[in-house]
Amino acid sequence: MNRSGNLSKAAKAAGRSVFKRVLLILLALAVSSVFLAASGYDALAIFKGLYQSFTKDIAGTIRWSTAMVLAGLAVCVCYKADIANLGVDGQLFLGAAAASMVALHVQEGANRALSLVEIFLCAALAGMLFALIPALLKIYLNVNEVVSTLLLNFIGEYFVNYLVNGPMRDPSATTNLSASARFSESAWLPHLAVFEPSSANVGVYIALVLLGAVTFVFYRTTLGHEIKMVGANGEFARYAGINPKRTVIKCMCISGAIAGVIGAIEVTAVQHRLIAGFNPELGFKGIVVSLLAGNHPIGVLFSGIFFGALKNGGTNMERMTGVPSAISSIVEGIIILVICADFTFRFVRKKRKAEREGT
Amino acid sequence: MAPVVEMLNITKRFPGVLANDQVTITVDQGQILGLIGENGAGKSTMMNMLYGLFQPDEGTIRLFGREVRIQSPNQAISMGIGMVHQHFMLMPNLTVLQNIILGKEPEKKGFIDTAAAREKIQKIMEAYDLQVDLDERVYQLSVGQKQRVEIVKALYREARILIMDEPTAVLTPQETDKLILVLQKLRDEGTAIIFITHKLREVMALTDKVIVMRKGVVTGTLMTRDADMDMLSNLMVGREVNLDIPRADIAPGEEVLAVKDLKVRNKKGLFALRGISFQVRKGEVVGIAGVEGNGQTELIECIAGMLRPEEGQVFLNGADITRMPIRRRREAGLSHIPEDRLKVGSAKTCSIRDNLIMNRYYRKPYASHGVMDNRKLLELSEKLCQDFQIKTPDSTYLLSTLSGGNMQKVVFAREMEMDPELLVAAQPTRGVDIGAIESIWHRILEARDAGKAVLLVSAELDEVLSLADRVLVMYEGEIMAELPRAEATESAVAVYMTGAKRQEASRRAGV
Repeated sequence: MNRSGNLSKAAKAAGRSVFKRVLLILLALAVSSVFLAASGYDALAIFKGLYQSFTKDIAGTIRWSTAMVLAGLAVCVCYKADIANLGVDGQLFLGAAAASMVALHVQEGANRALSLVEIFLCAALAGMLFALIPALLKIYLNVNEVVSTLLLNFIGEYFVNYLVNGPMRDPSATTNLSASARFSESAWLPHLAVFEPSSANVGVYIALVLLGAVTFVFYRTTLGHEIKMVGANGEFARYAGINPKRTVIKCMCISGAIAGVIGAIEVTAVQHRLIAGFNPELGFKGIVVSLLAGNHPIGVLFSGIFFGALKNGGTNMERMTGVPSAISSIVEGIIILVICADFTFRFVRKKRKAEREGT
Repeated sequence: MAPVVEMLNITKRFPGVLANDQVTITVDQGQILGLIGENGAGKSTMMNMLYGLFQPDEGTIRLFGREVRIQSPNQAISMGIGMVHQHFMLMPNLTVLQNIILGKEPEKKGFIDTAAAREKIQKIMEAYDLQVDLDERVYQLSVGQKQRVEIVKALYREARILIMDEPTAVLTPQETDKLILVLQKLRDEGTAIIFITHKLREVMALTDKVIVMRKGVVTGTLMTRDADMDMLSNLMVGREVNLDIPRADIAPGEEVLAVKDLKVRNKKGLFALRGISFQVRKGEVVGIAGVEGNGQTELIECIAGMLRPEEGQVFLNGADITRMPIRRRREAGLSHIPEDRLKVGSAKTCSIRDNLIMNRYYRKPYASHGVMDNRKLLELSEKLCQDFQIKTPDSTYLLSTLSGGNMQKVVFAREMEMDPELLVAAQPTRGVDIGAIESIWHRILEARDAGKAVLLVSAELDEVLSLADRVLVMYEGEIMAELPRAEATESAVAVYMTGAKRQEASRRAGV
């Protein structure tokens, strides 16, 4: 066995796939620029926005990348086991709601670290429990998780809307704002001091720790092996003595907990209260992040940063040049299309090949 | 007679592999050619080029003396080539008639002229004695009947060259005999037939000419009358093959596996097992013979824990394991080679290592507290690759890079390395070449001689008869007969396989 041979083989494969993805991104950006030019805007606006994201406004990039990386992680844990968790948004809403419920009870001057630990644990638990619903439905009633997770998003979102218009609405509010009261400062997740006054926050550390943890679970633990095998061939996993149902539950729980953490970061670090519509569909962005990363956790880091920068750049460009920030959604859409097309081609090629071999 | 198929000096390269190197195959009108060789020898590639699925890189193909380029199966069919695949290409929900005319419906004023089609098909069926009820739906047919439909379909399309890809792998001995008669008749009528097979006996019985391939080249082209089986197997493998494996003369010990009155229903709600009972003892190979689809799959799955029986019990070393989870069964000493190695026995998209470690990745010393020792696991998988001669540069390659025979070795290595008390092996040599069969048979008998219990299920009667100390014959979910090794001859077993006869209950120990 030749270890260095293995390494260079792996490095080559990784290099190829990174190269391919960079091409993909450039293609998507180019096509979007055509749209911009056709609508009479500055054709290079996206490139300028991205450039700024990495030069003048790193803070904004960090703020968005944190959420993107976490959302990508939440999605990729499930995809690895071949389950589609399209309900990260719903789980994120529930996490935010739970975090807010705890945070509103935190008194001024309470121990911040302790309060935050409590808030985040509750948020993770809420996300996890909400993700458990589709998992159990899938296992016991054979309900397709694509449908159930997708629909539960609405329940999560409207539940938060109900809370901030009803039981949790700020009693002292003088405006029509659908929001809870502000949390006391002891429940705020600290911002990164160097980047004040931007909302870049220590959530980025949480994201990095979770990223490391998921990577470790994937490649070093028996659970990771089980997730991979259930995803690759569920019947084989069952035959070898793995309980695929239990693995599905574990994946959904991990995924939901990560989603809950995103919710907690958003309310404790950025909004400082629970507010209707705080979540710009981060869960769906997570799907794109994970898709571009090929469901690889390290890939999620880079693709999360890219989409964070894109989101940040889009917002900045809108503010400064009037280029609609929706352009970043167009880029996302095109990336999804191109990646899916690639999957389809690969699928067709494989099928053709299989037919030729007569198997 | 003039050759109808001439594939001259064909070379075909795939990325990194030379699949065919200057291969020449010719078949005359009214001749049956046996094309034999190990897995990955390049037989299928040659036939796929003839059927228009690939284009050769070099060389020429001539049909009926005319040089042709065959770009697609449709074109191949229009040139008179018919292919009967190993896995039938039929629509289960359509009738036999609909299947046969599919894609070549006779038209009359824009409608399908069923009457004309029926007449034409009836003629073919009568001429070659290939009777099948035209109005039956295909899913209701037996395997042999489906194969007949495939042949009729090819003839309906006026095939004058017929490629048969391992046609006998799924047939009973009687069905095989019948197929041989049909093929002989077709030959006498002038059809050229290319017969791909692993079974040398059929080559000797049926063909006029044999071409042996190994590693992409032709190692022998000879007339069947000049050949004998030893010679052919040497040409295939490149060395002497010995399938006559000596076995230690040992008396079976205590009972390891006991199955009591097992009943289970299949997906259609019909009984797949109607009360099966038997035991397997230490140092004994019990072989289950029978045509596929007579409950063997369900029986194995009940023992391995993939399927819950409705009634009855399974005992391993005296303990009732009927409702035990799969992992605990495996830890209690059960190893299982499943009949479908792709769907059940492996994960193609994962590495060879991932496949090899599946029954130990969570155990000491390979893991502790849920953390795997990847180095040790890699060492294990490299060792297994070496011990079982799995042909790969190293075990980090994807399983899908292996040939079928080597994939089977991966499954076999994983299950044997556990040193099982009970080995349940279903079709352990399916689609595997003769060299690999030799080594797998050796290993199974070594396990037996070492005092393990082995339950062997195989559709290959040869395999059961060569390995088993005791043969059970299954038919429609029941055991029809139990024969000790000495009495288990091909003809004795075949009678029970078709359900034509049932042994008196008193002769069977397990009932």
